[in-house]
Amino acid sequence: MRMLTKRPPGIAFRATFAVILPLGLFGLLICVIGSLFFTDTYKKHYSETTYHMAYAATTLLYGDHIDDYLKGERKEEYEQCREDLYDNCQKINAAIIYVIKVDVSDYESFVSVFDIIDNEVSNTDYTEWELGSRRKAHTKEYSENYRLLYEKKIDYATIYREHKTDGTISYFTTMVPVENEAGDVTAILCVQRPMRELIQMRKHFLINIFVFTFIISVLTAMFAAFYIKHRLTAPIKKVADEAVRFAEENTKREPLGRISNYLELQNLAESIDKMESDMTDYMGKLMVATAERERINTELSVAAKIQGNAVPNVFPAFPDRADVDIYASMTPAKEIGGDFYNFFFIDEDHLAMIIGDVSGKGIPAALFMMVTNILISDRVKMGGSPAEILAWVNNSICDNNQAHMFVTLWLGVLELSTGIVTAANAGHLDPAICRQNRGFELYKTKHGLVVGAIGGITYTDYEIRLFPGDKLFLYTDGLPEATNCNERELTLDGMLEVLHTCGKESPKGIVSAVHAGVERFMDGNYQFDDLTMLCVEYRGAKLWQTFTIKADIEQVPCVTEILDKFVTGYNCPIKLRQQLELALEEAFVNIARYAYPDTEGDVQISLSATAREMIIILEDGGIPFNPLEREAPDITAPGEKRKVGGLGILMIKKNVDTLDYRYENNRNILTIKKRM
Amino acid sequence: MQIKKTKENQKLTISISGRVDTPSAMEFEESVFETLDGVTELVFDMKDMSYLSSAGLRVILIAYKQMKKQGKMKLVNVSDDIRDILDMTGFTDLYTIG
Repeated sequence: MRMLTKRPPGIAFRATFAVILPLGLFGLLICVIGSLFFTDTYKKHYSETTYHMAYAATTLLYGDHIDDYLKGERKEEYEQCREDLYDNCQKINAAIIYVIKVDVSDYESFVSVFDIIDNEVSNTDYTEWELGSRRKAHTKEYSENYRLLYEKKIDYATIYREHKTDGTISYFTTMVPVENEAGDVTAILCVQRPMRELIQMRKHFLINIFVFTFIISVLTAMFAAFYIKHRLTAPIKKVADEAVRFAEENTKREPLGRISNYLELQNLAESIDKMESDMTDYMGKLMVATAERERINTELSVAAKIQGNAVPNVFPAFPDRADVDIYASMTPAKEIGGDFYNFFFIDEDHLAMIIGDVSGKGIPAALFMMVTNILISDRVKMGGSPAEILAWVNNSICDNNQAHMFVTLWLGVLELSTGIVTAANAGHLDPAICRQNRGFELYKTKHGLVVGAIGGITYTDYEIRLFPGDKLFLYTDGLPEATNCNERELTLDGMLEVLHTCGKESPKGIVSAVHAGVERFMDGNYQFDDLTMLCVEYRGAKLWQTFTIKADIEQVPCVTEILDKFVTGYNCPIKLRQQLELALEEAFVNIARYAYPDTEGDVQISLSATAREMIIILEDGGIPFNPLEREAPDITAPGEKRKVGGLGILMIKKNVDTLDYRYENNRNILTIKKRM
Repeated sequence: MQIKKTKENQKLTISISGRVDTPSAMEFEESVFETLDGVTELVFDMKDMSYLSSAGLRVILIAYKQMKKQGKMKLVNVSDDIRDILDMTGFTDLYTIG
């Protein structure tokens, strides 16, 4: 797995922030609301207190004498009042106490009666207004309040003035009416006090709230982090660790069990436990299934061997026959297939050849193929024409063909003395024939029904006359229907084209060349169908000459004479003739010397020749001896150590092309072949 | 097979003509060994030899082994066909051919 280059932060870390942020906002909100509430309450409280102070101050005045003071009368009383007010001002820690007579026509202006200033309170430098000096109302709010007080609509009024920008001290003014004996308002007494106290207390209040909120936030965040770490992260880590361990080891361990009090986490842990348990069960089952598949594969490979050996697969098939050459190959699409071929000698002169293709592929086809092969092979050996044989095989198969399978069959019997092939075709593809290396063409005939379809059917024999050098090529539909990657089939014409290029080859060469051609055509595509081919070359009637000679060294000239006479009929180079002579003499002498140590016996010498090669077969009834197994003498040893024995066999081997030894029916049979 | 022997002092020349096959090799062997005493130089003249089987090779090998003890041996006038047989059996390396 690719590691993330940048790992994201953990839950605890994130959660701490998630807690701190809202708590901080909450704290801010409390500060704002608290501050507003505090200010409001404080103002009310202050205003009331100041009202009482102002009201007390009005008692020092004589409401009836206000106009007299303004006229300059009652000077002593005025001064006394002024002093009383001054004392009062200092007592109540007010900045200014002033008394004014408002012009009741519009309440926009007033004249000053008393103006007591204590500059120390707010560190100001106000100067007192002159008695009787006229002023304009400070703001509309002032004049409106003056009116309300004069008309006795309110008991007192408080006006707040906050200088937010220029930094001067904010203050507020509480005003109360001054009344005469009759209860009429004659003047207004105002007390002005600084708001310093309010601002300071509000500052304290805000700091307290801020600190408190901060501490609460931090503590809550810490607690949240701690809690998340222990209650959430730790169990999740446990589950994650277990998942990693399981991925690496693939083994079951103690289940996680109860790891958390939270339903979701517990579910997660249980899911992991269940997954591990299910996975190990599944892996166990998979292993069993794999073992089973391996067993089936082994069985299939054995079955493939059995099937391969059910037909002749050793080539050259008839090394001692000069009159015929045959080669075949069987390539199943799967391990085993439904195609088959077979060939064997019914007697010395008749070679039976069979090719078949069972419907379907794989095991059922292979079983059906085995049955068919055995049935037809045995039946052929019992005699009869191919048509009769196919009819009999058809009936045998139809008798109990529950699987409703069928097989196409071509059966031909080659009579070697005449070159006539008698054949019958049960739905199989037409054979291709090559006349004396002139290229292949299809030999078309009417087909009978496939074997296994309906019982009681008859087939028709037909004859193909082969001349020496002619070849017959048999195949199954896997060849013309071979498909390449572009879904194109080789077709019969394509097959003939391939055959055309190799018509001069031996049967083995032809089959190999067609195989190579098909593979080239398929270009790596998957082989869909079984592919079987059989090619036979008729080389001419059998021309054997057989002689029986006494196994005696004295007979060597006689043997030489037989060979001379035989070879004379052929255009055989002297060199080749001499080599053959040497080989024959050495082989004969070997038998004459060793085969019959105590008795006298004979050697049978058979000679034959084809257009390609000379064949000599020596047979004797003496003690079994395989000259091919004899160790070759060391022909490089120094002179003293040279052995005189073994040279004869060395000379046979060196002078011929093929040497074959068999021991059959108590007879040694040595076949010598020399290419012309 | 015909054998002609010419002896000059201790040099014996044996001229063989025709076929040396297994039956005639016995005669050949007898003929060679009856005159080998005291010979220090043995020459096989194979000018007219047309055929040589392993039995004949055997006679020549025995003669070679004998002559190693008492002198030398060589083959002369070896035809191509006979040389092929000697090559095939590895005797060309052993014998003096000239």
